Order: sequence, then C-alpha cells, then structure tokens
Amino acid sequence: MSDNSLKKSFEVRYDMLLNAIPSSVLIIDRQLQVLSVNQNFLSKSLRSKESTVGRLLADVFPLVILQSTGIEESIRNVFNSGVAIKGQKMTYRAPGVPLRIYYYSILPVPNDQIMLIMEDVTEQVRLSEEVRRVERHLASVVESASDIVLSTDIDGRILTWNSAAEKQSGLTTQEVHGVFFYDLCDANQKPAVRMIFQRMKAGNEPHTTEFHLLTPSKGGSILISWVFSPMLDDYGKTVGTVVVGRDLAERRKLELQLRQSQKLTALGVMAGGIAHEIRNPLAVCSSSAQFLLEDNVSPEFHKECARKIQTNIQKASAIIENLLRFARSSLDTDMSELDLITVLNETIELVTNQAKVQKIQVQLSVQKPVILVTGVSGLLQQVFMNIFLNAINAMPQGGMLNITVNTIEDRVIVRVTDTGVGIPPGELEKIFDPFHTSSPVGQGTGLGLSICYSIIRQHLGSIQAESRLGQGATIVVTLPLL
Amino acid sequence: MNAPILVVDDEPDMCWAISHLIQSQGFNVVTALNGADACFKLANGDFSVVFLDAKLPDMDGLEVARRASTLGQGRPNVVLVSGYHYQDDPVVHDAIAEGIICTFLAKPFTNEALLKTLYSLLPTDR
Repeated sequence: MSDNSLKKSFEVRYDMLLNAIPSSVLIIDRQLQVLSVNQNFLSKSLRSKESTVGRLLADVFPLVILQSTGIEESIRNVFNSGVAIKGQKMTYRAPGVPLRIYYYSILPVPNDQIMLIMEDVTEQVRLSEEVRRVERHLASVVESASDIVLSTDIDGRILTWNSAAEKQSGLTTQEVHGVFFYDLCDANQKPAVRMIFQRMKAGNEPHTTEFHLLTPSKGGSILISWVFSPMLDDYGKTVGTVVVGRDLAERRKLELQLRQSQKLTALGVMAGGIAHEIRNPLAVCSSSAQFLLEDNVSPEFHKECARKIQTNIQKASAIIENLLRFARSSLDTDMSELDLITVLNETIELVTNQAKVQKIQVQLSVQKPVILVTGVSGLLQQVFMNIFLNAINAMPQGGMLNITVNTIEDRVIVRVTDTGVGIPPGELEKIFDPFHTSSPVGQGTGLGLSICYSIIRQHLGSIQAESRLGQGATIVVTLPLL
Repeated sequence: MNAPILVVDDEPDMCWAISHLIQSQGFNVVTALNGADACFKLANGDFSVVFLDAKLPDMDGLEVARRASTLGQGRPNVVLVSGYHYQDDPVVHDAIAEGIICTFLAKPFTNEALLKTLYSLLPTDR
C-alpha cells in the first residue's frame, strides 16, 4: 500500500471515529479557524461541512454565543497556557430548532491545535429541573397543609417540621431540629410516645393515637390526633417516621355539644321513669304529713309518720342526685384511674327506674369486684347509659337486660345483652353511624351510638354490635385495663 | 261491714299510707305488692274497691285492671293511683272509656281526695 493510500485510509478511519462520537467535536487552530468537524456538530447546528470547515469560529457560531460565553478568549487562553478548560455551560440555538444546552470542554491537542467538545445536556438539565420542580411541589404540599407534618429519624429526632407545626406549637424548625419528638409531648405521655417510636423501628405498621403537644410559647398544650407512619427506604427497611397531626380542639368542641345534646335526649327518655320514682316517695310524705295534722295522733304513730317522711325524702333526693351527676359529668374530661364496676353500678342505678316501669330485670355479673381502667367516668357513664337505654327501648314488652364483665389478658370486655326486638342484619353495620336511627322522627337523634363510638375510641377501646332480628342484641365494649 | 278494699303497690310505704288512711275509716284492707299477687287475691276474694298502682314490677297496673274487669258479677271498682300518668293522660282517658277503671288519682294525693274517691265508689245499698 502506498503512503498516499495509507494516509487516505487513515483519514477515513479518523472521520469514522470522529463521527461515531455522540458529542460535537471541532478541531481549531491558533487563528480560530475550524480545521475539522464531526457529523454530530453539523446535524445539531444544521450546517454543511463546506460552510464550516476552513471558516473562522466567528462565522460558525452566532455572535450572541461568542459574546455570552467568551469562548474565543477561552480558546486563546488554552493555546497560551496549554491547560484544558472543562465542563463549561453553553446554550445554543440553531435557527428553527429549540434551545439546546451544552457542556463544552476545550482541550489542547498536539500540532498547535485545540479540540472543542460540546455535549448536549438539554435532556439531563430538563430532567433535573423536573426533579427540582417535583421537589418544590412536594415541599409546598407539606408546607401548605393545615395539618402538622413532620419527619423524624429512626430514633425519633425531628428532621423536618412544616409551617402548620410551627404555627400550632409556636416552635420554629431551628428550635426543634434534632430534638426528640417525644420531648415535645406532655410529660406523662412521654413514655407512651417513646414506645411508639420503638414499635415503628420494629414493624412497618402505622400507628394512630391522640396526645397533647406542648406549646411552650403560649404556655400549655394542645390535643392533637396523630398518625405515625414508618418511612421506608428502597429495600423496605424503616429509616424514619412521618408524623401527621390534626388539632382536635374544633372537633372536641363539636363532640362536646353533641354529647350534651345526646345527654338531654337520654334525660328525656328517663323522665317518665323518674317522675314515677319521685312521685311515690312524695305521695308517702304527703299522706304522712296529713296524718300528723290530725288530732289525737298517738306518740308511736307520730314517730312512724316522721320516719316515713324522712326516709322517703332521702329516696327522692337520691334519685335527683343521680340525675344531677349524670347531667353535669361531661364537664370533666380529664382521664384518671377509675373502677369500671362502680361506673356500671351507678349507671344501672340511673336506669333502674325506667327498667322497672317497663318490667325489665337488670342483672350485672362480674368476675372481680374491682376492675381498674383509665378514663373519664362521666363519659363512660354516658356510653353505658346510652347502651342501656337503647336496650330498654328495644324491650317495650319487658325482658332481661344482662350485663357481664370479663377480663381477658390486658382488656376488659363488657357485654350488654337484651332480649328485645334485635337489629336487622342490614342495619347492624350502620348503628354506629351518626344520625342513623330506627326510632320514629322526633324520638331519636340517631347520635347516641356514634357518640359512644367516639368516646370509646378516645379511651383506646372498641365497640361492636351483635344481633339477630327477634332475638335481642348484644353491644360489646372493650377497654384496655390499667 | 263492707267488703274489704284491695291496695296494690310495689312500694311498701305507699301500701302503708293508703292502708292506714282507709283503716282509719273502719274498713278492712288487703295489700298486694305485685301484679300476680293482686290477680290471685282478686280471683279468690270479694273486694268492693281496688286502689291500683300503674307500674308494678311484673305487670302493668292496667293489665291487672283488665283482668279484674272480667270477674263478672261483684267485680270491684278500680282506682288507678299513679305518679307515672297525669289527669288528662290519653292512656287514663282510654282506660276509663273502656270501663277498665272507674277513676284516676295522681300521686301525690291529698288524704281527703283519696277518701272522697273511696266513698264515691262504695256501693250505696250497703
């Protein structure tokens, strides 16, 4: 092969190689004249080889690019220093083609030439901008939420804290960053919240609860309903926790109103039984007093009448006292240690009158004389009052109201069974819905059991119904033992 | 001597008060503390007047009255005595219209009113 043909074949190979590079490559001499160019550049710039090779850089690139990048100056610098310039950014737009973004490098090559390599990164830039946009969007979702949204590391140290969290707690992100979340809870709830984080570490289950968040700047705390969700990495391993919280103040206020109105409804139902029960002792007192007004009353009969008056006044007063206690109890909402059996006995006493009027026998069977739970006694009394009155209403022809209390492991289960009309199968799942009622219009609000449900949930318990039409119903209340 | 008077009330003190009042007028009194006992005594005795409580632990007072009304000849005059109902209560009104009870006395009552009711219901021929 001759020198000439060897050179020819070398040039062909060189061109092939150059054209195979997926970047634009230009070889330029010291006079800034383009010596060689690859196909990639020609197709991106929509130029022909003839109008490019042998031309000055100023004829090949638009003036605006040369000015904005100062590329000619950079090339001269590379010629002078022999040091490459790498990773510069350039936007280039050929006529009729959308804007492209390039990273370019200027590399010195032997024989007093430089190589300009331009890499089209339009797509990568677009993608990274998209990622940033999605990130910004997500951040704004979290920031715009009116619920508290925060994230913690696996041990419960706060990493992020949104605006709602700042607003509601009065604590800034800087103040809480790195602080253990449970240190922001009410002191006596701290151990329980710490437990949640430990449970998060082990399992992948979300956890729902309610507790107070401290608001140091305002002094005090606010009750929040929380959902803890584990944050998983790509391998499904828990790496942190996302916590979302909603202020319960508004909901509590509404619930309080509902409970109060439901209570008035219950009082209305009880009125009949109470009237009968109070008028009996009143009648005894009235007759006895009239006996005393007669002449010639023997000293023994005088004493007997006075005693009857005394005991019957006490009887009437006891009924009124129970009623007062029931009517007022909801104002007290602090959880405390209490005996469930006492609550049940007091509630049974309140409905005894009504049961008697309807010829219903009430029976309470307990395993243990004292069963301790944490709760609000007035609220629990309202729950059982509701359930008992529902059962009594279901037995217009009389019957049995059985209340059994059992403890299983860490729970106490109260079953309230009546021998009444029962609940039709389709109704069973609806009975805890607000405004669901089987009573005629004007006789029931349909709120009783939904209020029971919310109260029992607040006590971290559950409430269920079992029934067959015509065979009575059983309401099952489960509460955690102390 | 008149036929005895039956006093039915689940409250012993109430029985005591009514019994004392009627006995003071020289009448014989029999008491019953529940519906079953009242029905048994009505079926096996001869009473001129019954003072009957509306709400008894085992049955409704009006049910006792209904059974008393089936006793035929010599059936007693029944007075419903109750704190559960009121004077113009439709239930009371219907029971009187049906002839199950003769009259109604609301608790608490004056002794005078109870005696007036008693005398108005005693057979005049005796």
